[in-house]
Amino acid sequence: MDGIHDLGGKQGFGPVPVAEGDAPFAQDWERRMWALSREGICPTMTLDWFRHGVELMVPGDYLTFSYFQKWATNFLMLMVDAGQITLQDLERGYLLEPAKPARAKAVEEILEQVRRACTDFSVPEDAPPRFAIGAAVRTLRQIDHPHTRLPAYARGVQGRVIGHHGAHLLPDDGAHGRHVGQHLYTVAFTAPDLWGAAANPRDDVTLDLWESYLVPA
Amino acid sequence: MSTFDSKHAAGLHRHIHSHLPSDAALRVKALESLAVEKGLIAPETIDAWVEAYSDHIGPMRGAKVVARSWVDPAFRARLLENATEAIKEFGFEGNATGHLKAVENTATAHNMVVCTLCSCYPFSILGMSPAWYKSAAYRARAVREPRAVLAEFGVDLPEDVALRVWDSTAELRYLVLPQRPAGTEGWDEDRLAAIVTRNSMIGTERVLATGGT
Repeated sequence: MDGIHDLGGKQGFGPVPVAEGDAPFAQDWERRMWALSREGICPTMTLDWFRHGVELMVPGDYLTFSYFQKWATNFLMLMVDAGQITLQDLERGYLLEPAKPARAKAVEEILEQVRRACTDFSVPEDAPPRFAIGAAVRTLRQIDHPHTRLPAYARGVQGRVIGHHGAHLLPDDGAHGRHVGQHLYTVAFTAPDLWGAAANPRDDVTLDLWESYLVPA
Repeated sequence: MSTFDSKHAAGLHRHIHSHLPSDAALRVKALESLAVEKGLIAPETIDAWVEAYSDHIGPMRGAKVVARSWVDPAFRARLLENATEAIKEFGFEGNATGHLKAVENTATAHNMVVCTLCSCYPFSILGMSPAWYKSAAYRARAVREPRAVLAEFGVDLPEDVALRVWDSTAELRYLVLPQRPAGTEGWDEDRLAAIVTRNSMIGTERVLATGGT
């Protein structure tokens, strides 16, 4: 979707908060939000339904909330959406009938869980890739889909395939709970092709793009 | 079961926006209370995750990988060929590094990483991302005017050095391998790892400092 989250190339944001934004966890609640997100508190969501949920936030909130504030808001939405809690639970702030408490885990178990979380999103695909390394391709100009990983700044632009990664789960479908594989490529776009003749011709930007985002140039 | 219905989700977001205090700490507290009461997570487990990502997992992991790539050419070759497999030699695989690619800086090329659509990051080797990486300014500007962004980090990239910006739009994550600085000949891996900074592995730092080590 052409949402507020699609920030690449947008102007007017001012300097990058280099110094003041250096600490990974400025606040204790940020640590706890990260921890909550690792434990599958919304078991029926997919990665891209989570991402799409963030994209569907009230736009003004998206721009003014900090990163983990968005995550907290999104997880509350996702748990209501999945029927795990109700809007009444949310407004009350506690459950009328709590469930059996979860088992406590120690840090050693968490570190092992982190290692096991090393999953990739590749899937078997019989169809041969449509594009070879070095091929000239053009991205679609229009995306009429609620969730996509083709940013607005790189639509309708010619680029060159510099990598092929086999088939990976297509986020556009994953956001709707469907698991469909499609060939994934890394495509390089020159800075002048993206931003105009004033850009440095030595510079480029690469994106990882699925086959259905691309046509032969 | 999740509905996967965009309109429904947007409506819930509007309801939350109108009926819940927006304060971040309160929202996380509400989420934690409800998740604990649902039996989805124990408070002690949250503490354990915090400890894991505070004391065990962080940019010191990536730094060790970079240091070995400087002293062990065979490892460097394995790392560039398949970083996901290579970091398993350290036991550093995990969250968001199931498909990892290492990209090397040279005298004529510099690499920089961004995620313009959200804030994807290779957590299991770099830990939590810095706040600037998740800022709207960095996400918006890193692809459009990366040299101006680098200048704000104190990096004056020569005109003739090619700059490649990797926008992490899929489940691939990127690790920048900075160049080994001059004057570190004969240093062992631990000493080398100590000079590798988090920003250099994202690509917003180029020349590593060797003083005071």
